[in-house]
Amino acid sequence: MTTPPASRRRRAPLDPRLLREVSAARRHVLRTVALGLVQSGAVIVTALAIAGIGAALLVQGQSPLSLPQLLAVLVAALGVRALAVLWEQRTAHRAATDAIAELRGRIVRHAAHLGPRRSAGRGADLTSLATTGIENLRPYLVGYVPQLMLSLTVTPLCLLTIGILDPLSAVIAVVTLPLVPIFMILVGKLTVGRSERLIADMRTLWSQTLDLIDGLPTLRALGREKGPEKTVRALGERHHASSMGSLKYAFLSSMVLELLGTLCVALIAVNIGMRLVYGQMDLAPALAVLVLAPEVYQPLRNVGSQYHSSTDGLAAVTATFEVLDEPVPADGDLPAPDLATSTLALREVSVRSREGWAPHRASFTVPPGEVTALTGPSGSGKTTAVHLLLGLLDPQHGQAEIIAADGTVTPVAQLERRSLWEQVSLLPQRPVLPPGTIREVLHDARPDATEEQLQEAARAAGLDTVIAERGGDADLGRAGQGISLGQRQRLSLARALLSPAPLVILDEPTAHLDGATEQIVLDLIRRLRKEGRTVLVIAHRSRLVEIADQVVAVEAVLDPDPAPTALPAGATSERPAAEVTR
Amino acid sequence: MTATDPASPGAASARHDDPLNRTDPLNRTDPLRRTDPLRRAERALEIPVGRLVAAVGSAAATLAAAFALAAMSAYLVTRAWTMPPVLDLSVAVVMVRGLGVARGVFRWIDRMITHDVALRGVVSLRTNLFTALASRGDDALLRLRRGDLLARIGDDAQELAQHVIKAIVPALVSVVMLVVVIATFAPLSGIATAVMVAALLLASVLAPLAAHRAARISEDAVVTSRSQVTAWALEILDDATGLRIDGRLEGALEAMRTEQAAHDAAIDRAALPSAIASAAVPLTMILAVTGSLLGAGAVWLDGGASAGQVGILLLLPLSSFEAATALPAAATQYARSQAAARRLDEAAGNHSGAGTGATTNTESGSGAGTASSPGDSSPVAIERPTSAVLSARGLAAGWSPQAPRVAGLDLDLAPGSRIAVVGASGTGKSTLLATLAGLLEPLGGTVRLDGEDIAGMDPAAVRARVTFFAEDAHVFATTLRENLRVVRGDLTDQEALAALAAVGLEDWVRGLPAGLDTMLGPDGTTISGGERRRLLLARAVLRDGPVLLLDEPTEHLDTERGDALLRSLLDPRDTSLLPASTTAVVVTHRQEAIPSGTAVLHIHDGAATTWTEAP
Repeated sequence: MTTPPASRRRRAPLDPRLLREVSAARRHVLRTVALGLVQSGAVIVTALAIAGIGAALLVQGQSPLSLPQLLAVLVAALGVRALAVLWEQRTAHRAATDAIAELRGRIVRHAAHLGPRRSAGRGADLTSLATTGIENLRPYLVGYVPQLMLSLTVTPLCLLTIGILDPLSAVIAVVTLPLVPIFMILVGKLTVGRSERLIADMRTLWSQTLDLIDGLPTLRALGREKGPEKTVRALGERHHASSMGSLKYAFLSSMVLELLGTLCVALIAVNIGMRLVYGQMDLAPALAVLVLAPEVYQPLRNVGSQYHSSTDGLAAVTATFEVLDEPVPADGDLPAPDLATSTLALREVSVRSREGWAPHRASFTVPPGEVTALTGPSGSGKTTAVHLLLGLLDPQHGQAEIIAADGTVTPVAQLERRSLWEQVSLLPQRPVLPPGTIREVLHDARPDATEEQLQEAARAAGLDTVIAERGGDADLGRAGQGISLGQRQRLSLARALLSPAPLVILDEPTAHLDGATEQIVLDLIRRLRKEGRTVLVIAHRSRLVEIADQVVAVEAVLDPDPAPTALPAGATSERPAAEVTR
Repeated sequence: MTATDPASPGAASARHDDPLNRTDPLNRTDPLRRTDPLRRAERALEIPVGRLVAAVGSAAATLAAAFALAAMSAYLVTRAWTMPPVLDLSVAVVMVRGLGVARGVFRWIDRMITHDVALRGVVSLRTNLFTALASRGDDALLRLRRGDLLARIGDDAQELAQHVIKAIVPALVSVVMLVVVIATFAPLSGIATAVMVAALLLASVLAPLAAHRAARISEDAVVTSRSQVTAWALEILDDATGLRIDGRLEGALEAMRTEQAAHDAAIDRAALPSAIASAAVPLTMILAVTGSLLGAGAVWLDGGASAGQVGILLLLPLSSFEAATALPAAATQYARSQAAARRLDEAAGNHSGAGTGATTNTESGSGAGTASSPGDSSPVAIERPTSAVLSARGLAAGWSPQAPRVAGLDLDLAPGSRIAVVGASGTGKSTLLATLAGLLEPLGGTVRLDGEDIAGMDPAAVRARVTFFAEDAHVFATTLRENLRVVRGDLTDQEALAALAAVGLEDWVRGLPAGLDTMLGPDGTTISGGERRRLLLARAVLRDGPVLLLDEPTEHLDTERGDALLRSLLDPRDTSLLPASTTAVVVTHRQEAIPSGTAVLHIHDGAATTWTEAP
């Protein structure tokens, strides 16, 4: 799952992929170039007008009021510059907002399609990228990119004007200018990798801090809530130290830029002064050059001061595209056969887990219309087996298949998943409910259900007490957070009962229920079977196992060696790995 | 308004100048305390006044260097035009060259000091926030959603770092620079000074004020919309599988997009005023440049100024606005900081005046390795007695007085008692345990420990005797060892391994890549529901008394092993898990596994309780 980090390479200041794929960013760059040209014109006209008025005053003793056209030009140039700044800032924020929204949407969508295992390595990382990390694009697009574009327009155009007015000053500027990229590369060599490390560091420190907060109720129950703040502080101190270490070098580049910029202005001023003393130069071009000289360096200085926001922004872009580049398990294109008459099967399937293989060489079938129970010790891969049957995961060995009524065998990997999932009602350990009231949540499972059917299903799932207590129109909030886990489970059971899906999968349905409610679940499963539906149940409890038509034991093997040779591809099962049929 | 309120941050942090006096930064009982959340957040940053002065000083020096360079080079060029002896210019030449170097050096120092101050402040703020959260009640902590907490401790704390960098320091610097500009222009021309003051005041007061106002309006909208987006993103990332199978992923993504669009609109409203504010400086520059030109014309034609001074009047206005340029951003930041501070205040529970009692220490820096250590945390060693008598009289427990889950319960548990608590889902078994543990205030009646009402006891002393092991207790993203050490700081490896073996995790530990040093949780080994459950049980085994309250300790285990563990917990003669003197109250669904003769407390709908003896 890890891709070789693209971050080793030096990054271009504009990520080409960002411009290619995110139109808001692309348009933003084009607009800042155009506005940069407008601002260059305004700056040059301002300098010439001030120089003209100043020289007329000092040399000819003309009052500025006697030159109304020149004054009007000056005011107009300053006004145009103000408007260009206004327009640029206004649109820059918009572009950043659009780019962030687009990329956040794509990250979340892509991560959701990566399947259940993707979170094993990067749970909190992905979360912080999608929530806060991606926001680093804003300072990058609003602060850095416009200044970068100004340095490509204002700097050369001002330099050109200086060259026309006074070639010697232009030579001084041209000699010092190449020092900027040289020093930038030197400083860049110092900072390379630091920003990535900072982000990686931040993520780790972050998930550790968040973990402590998640655990606060537990710490409090143990009387340990005082003390971890020291860990929080220590984590923060490390973050601070690592940030300052990175900033030390990032600010070095802005120091070099400031230094070269102001030093060049100082050199030009001294040089012009010396020529004026000896009468080798006129006052008007001298004044204009003096106004323009700082403008040559201003955009470069601003780029330098925004340097760390550019590295943060680009690192976020890289992290984003790393996520987006992770291949999504391919969807097939064959429509799934009718599950009411088809058999699901795993053939010699193994999935690599942290400690070995879980499940290990699982082979079993889920015949239609029957109740199949998956058992096995904790961690043996029961839930993973379900994910395999549903085509959510690709196994390292073996394959999941579906056998249609006419005997046609199709690998699940070739099925169009949507057509399969439409026929499945899944009740995970932590049930996920749509938002809304109890009634709406039930209705959602079967939009055409009558009020009677709804009430009957609610009764059958033991929901009537909940409804009596909370009312059918009580809003459960997002994902049913307004009710207990046990109540959420019963609500999900009622939804499974209502849904017309031919295959119902229950992952430990009695985990949060007591003995009396367990009976409800058992009755419910019997009822589903009577309706001719297929039930696959992951069960710890013996009573669930007792009503199953078929019990399948799923096994894991401990095998720390991740080499695939641990399971020879051609091995046949001398011992059926996992099937007990009663 | 930052520019007109420069004293407050300094004044606030002055109180923290004395390192021995750093108590209660989030909620001082000082009678002069201001109720403004931002002031409180600024105090929680614990910025020493000396560091702040250094930051402002170096930032002002950076701007002053550029300002002086512009003035000196304008003077040099126009003075040179009058062709004086070269020696007359040597001072100006040296100064121009020196200032050319100074600015870059000052800039680096300024950036480093300011960021150091801000980032240190955030560390203190996060620590103080954590402490405040830790002393809040369970229910308050649980009511804050995870996405919200992430936003509070992440974005909002970061916002206050930006507050220092973008608001406090630039605001103070702009005041310093205003004085510098006035002092420079005043001796040269009255007209130019008047125009410069007018232009600078316009730029540094009106524009930021407008920016602040508008930013604040939209920031209020952002408070809700951003966390809505974040909450949806978290939910989709957490529950992707269920959503996909159910065919609801697209709907959820669409909902997130809708929230994102609402958030975008809110953010967008903040952009226009901030753009107007950044254009305000170039706009007021029109006034400054033309006014100063006219002033220069007047003094030159009157013969009241030298060519060098006229040069300054001509060119310096262009370089006088650097400090003011930062102010609209400072004002926008100030509005963001205020909103962030309000949210932090809510999370810390300050509005209700809950005591936070935050005392932080700054010397804890280097100790942390790669693994965080929630177990490294016993500030005061409170002796844990080997036995305790837990009793209750007329106890009513529940989350709201209108709907008590348990009422009129009398309970006497001598040391070594074992009882089982059963009842249908949602009848209040967990609520009862939380109340008996002193984590939830009783709705009525009393809970007593060795005859003393726990309401009046030091919480640490209560925890030392009664420990509640919740069903949903947290497994920390750290090593297995630290996850066990959380119950006892002095845990040895032998004890840890023995406890893990007792709950049936012997093989699992053996299979772990690094044994007790294996990292668990999102960034380490993912553990299954059953393993997690047994790990939590191992914590209880290690705690071993005197009174343990266990919520569903054998749920998620296979029936056979779960029942065996349950029997062992409830049978006082079986010391494989708990010593004979330990009192244990065990909530379970597995009535058939309760050893015969065990007292069983039944909780019924409607808060009634009955006692039976297991057959």
